[in-house]
Amino acid sequence: MIDRVQFREIDWALIALLILNSLIGLALIYSASRLAPGNFFLRQALWLGISLIFLFLMLSIDYKLWMGISPYLMGLALAVLTALLVFGRGVSGAKSWLRLAFVGGQPSEPAKIAVLLLVALIFSDFRRTTITADIAALGGGAVLAPMLLVAAQPDLGTAMSFLPILFGAFVLAGMSRRTVAVILIGALLVGLVGWNVILKDYQKKRVLTLLNPNDDPRGSGYHVRQSRIAIGSGGLTGKGFLKGTQSQLRFLPARHTDFIFSVLGEEFGFLGVFFVLVSYFFFLARLFNSVPQSRDRAGMYINFMVACLLTFPVLVNTMMIIGLFPITGIPIPLLSYGGSSLLTTYLAVGLVLNVKMRRFVNV
Amino acid sequence: MRSSPIYDDVAPLARRARAVFFVVAGLFLILAFSYWKIQILDYGKFWAMSEANRTREIVLPAPRAALTDRSGQIILVNNIASFKASIIRENTRDFAASCARVGALLGLDPGVIEERVDKFRSEPLFKPIVVKDDLTLEEVARIEARKLDLPELVIETEPKRFYPYGTLGAHVLGYMQELTTDELRGAFKDRRLGDRIGRMGVENSLEKRIAGTDGKLVEIVDSLGRKRDELERVDPVQPPKVVLTLDYDLQAKADEFLAGREGAIVALDPKTGGILALASSPTYDPNKFVNRFTPEEWTTLAENPDNPMLNRAIQGLYSPGSMFKLVMAAAGLDTGTIVPQTTAYCPGSIMIYGRQFRCWFEAGHGTVNLYEAIRQSCNVYFYSLGRRMNIDTIARYATELGLGRKTGIDIPGEREGLVPDTEWKKRVMKEDWYPGETISVAIGQGALQVTPVQVAEMTATIANRGTRVRPHLVLDDETQAGIVRVPSAVLNEIIEGMWRSANEGGTGAAARVDGFDVCSKTGTVQTIGRETAERLGIKPKTHSWFTGFAPRNDPRIVVTVLVEFGGSGGATSAPVAGELFKIYKAKAAGS
Repeated sequence: MIDRVQFREIDWALIALLILNSLIGLALIYSASRLAPGNFFLRQALWLGISLIFLFLMLSIDYKLWMGISPYLMGLALAVLTALLVFGRGVSGAKSWLRLAFVGGQPSEPAKIAVLLLVALIFSDFRRTTITADIAALGGGAVLAPMLLVAAQPDLGTAMSFLPILFGAFVLAGMSRRTVAVILIGALLVGLVGWNVILKDYQKKRVLTLLNPNDDPRGSGYHVRQSRIAIGSGGLTGKGFLKGTQSQLRFLPARHTDFIFSVLGEEFGFLGVFFVLVSYFFFLARLFNSVPQSRDRAGMYINFMVACLLTFPVLVNTMMIIGLFPITGIPIPLLSYGGSSLLTTYLAVGLVLNVKMRRFVNV
Repeated sequence: MRSSPIYDDVAPLARRARAVFFVVAGLFLILAFSYWKIQILDYGKFWAMSEANRTREIVLPAPRAALTDRSGQIILVNNIASFKASIIRENTRDFAASCARVGALLGLDPGVIEERVDKFRSEPLFKPIVVKDDLTLEEVARIEARKLDLPELVIETEPKRFYPYGTLGAHVLGYMQELTTDELRGAFKDRRLGDRIGRMGVENSLEKRIAGTDGKLVEIVDSLGRKRDELERVDPVQPPKVVLTLDYDLQAKADEFLAGREGAIVALDPKTGGILALASSPTYDPNKFVNRFTPEEWTTLAENPDNPMLNRAIQGLYSPGSMFKLVMAAAGLDTGTIVPQTTAYCPGSIMIYGRQFRCWFEAGHGTVNLYEAIRQSCNVYFYSLGRRMNIDTIARYATELGLGRKTGIDIPGEREGLVPDTEWKKRVMKEDWYPGETISVAIGQGALQVTPVQVAEMTATIANRGTRVRPHLVLDDETQAGIVRVPSAVLNEIIEGMWRSANEGGTGAAARVDGFDVCSKTGTVQTIGRETAERLGIKPKTHSWFTGFAPRNDPRIVVTVLVEFGGSGGATSAPVAGELFKIYKAKAAGS
């Protein structure tokens, strides 16, 4: 399955960046949750180990093989997501959690990997210069089906994070100006319908809050307000590890998940934020740079879609916690607490490593 | 898997990926600038907001100074610890539900709570609003046990004013009451909601001296308002006790005498002006003000027709009646209109200006000189003196002896009273003065109005042979003494008459104390005219006055008594004064 030549081609720098960012996340989770019950730090550490193992499992099997079985993986994902909707137990109103014997997890997270592989399979033999309607419909269907199931849970944040896969595929396939226009108009229509029909009141409120966070400081503006206070009061050098008053005194909501980056801002200041942004940027840059380092189109699609998949939540999360984007419940990969999310990120990076290490191999 | 073709141009794909990467890089740059803006440029603003979030300043109310009687030993007012439950509206989710729960916990009607909180709705949401004072320890325990369910309900401890003797000296001590929202917005901006200030008596006039300096406690709190740590603590400072001039025994006795009556008693030290006792009846219990009134209790007190809140000693306006004969005597002697030996014949009444003026003793006093006229309080003697005098001259002597103006006693609310003269008549009544009115004024009737404390001050001036003192309640008060423009020789003649009144079977005989040389003057004031009373066929109701001092040659105590509708001065007020003289003498002998 994996020979020595390929082993030598593993991108260790990418793995190093991956682990570096994971360890930063681990430290922040410790700071954010040490006073709360739940052992989040230990659980995240355990998940980190598990994810590393899965990363190597992922890269040891040729991505062509993964792509080959992706329709079955997709079928499984759809079945589980449907079952969740029907039988699932709600966690804070959303039926996104699957509870197995020992570990709980969000199946919607690893489902992204199945979707990504299936889309790569669909586009692997597409050689036109611009995307065609039929393949667009095929790829769109592959992404939207699980996405709608997730949105119905309802977990709008996770559902939205499926979109970068589609975005990646479409961009890479190439779009004429007309296609872009059609997509933009379509998106606008979907947005209008969504605002009036699909979005729940609390979700609308979050969007409105973005426009004026001080309107209702105890209501939906509270989260953004407290987050901005936390980050702003960190200043240049921060209040020190474990010394953030906003984080430690619990003014900051969802400290170990969605607002983990605010903890960073408060305790390590602008210098900390800048360092993590740079290290994250290097990590993402390495993913983007991996795109041409593939022996075929499928590999390029995989690498690019993974890069988009991981970039999107980073940008959205870091923008929403300072009020540049509505609060959507999108955690930041590697930094936020969450086993499924961590595992999915490792699987995705594993896929890129998989593609890269086999770029000289011709099967 | 199909194998790739030999030639497959993937360059466009790489180019597109690169373009997206540049957009991402641009977004990261914008992101870095956004964080720069918040963390570096707006740092100060957010730092202040985070500090405001995490710290809470709590005022530690200072206990007010204790007040003691003149011995410095008997504590008349002090503080006891009290627990009060307050609602913080900021911490409520559903206000009505909160009120219901708090009501159930404290045994209060939720409607009453809502009403009370509503009264202070203009205050900021984070300010605690007191819903129940004086919690029992059991109630405190019950609230503490449910602390986590009821974050809106907090317990505050504060020193509470306590008057151990209840009604004793209530009008002198005053009472404490919460500041109203208007006051909080106006003159008391620096005070807090629920703070009390002295409303009457010494509590009011000494507010600055006895209020104390509040301390503060700066705490670190979490998002639920739970205390995590203490940053700073400044302890409150209680000012040193203030020693009042009151004599506990005299005050207690004065209060006791007046119980069930309406009237006032003032006893003071003529040398200094220090008030030994000042009682007004009916009275009230200042402790009732500390604990919040129920609406019914308040209505009962406020609408009592006898007005217990009125301090009759300094606010009650009465005709001086025969008290005024002392002024007439001084005026007559000093102007040379009479000498002590000048006599008048009293057949029981006298015709002046075609009208008959009666003496209180219908059989008549016969021929009396000034001493006898004072001793027996003969009206006819003073009618004839009044006929020979000008009202403005009389008014000048009355004012000189302290009537018609404030004594300057150091508690608020004192009234001036009234000494009429021609100028006053013109200004107020738009009429000329009729000579007949002077005859009425000569025996203390007419428009004259005095307060008991004025009479006491006048008596002290006479006792001091012309040295005026300012009545006051704080022992270390620096009294400004003044010399009255009535020669001591004149006052000595008056004192001879007053001595006879008490010691030679005069109207003040009931105030006589063996070996204490009491000098006195009584008064019996008709509240309706004698003629009217006779027409209505009722016995005329009279206010009973007494004023006097002792001992004659070294005056140490002045006592003035007024009992509304108390009958004659000699029968009702004089014995009361006698008792007070006796107590004072006994105490002085004992110490």
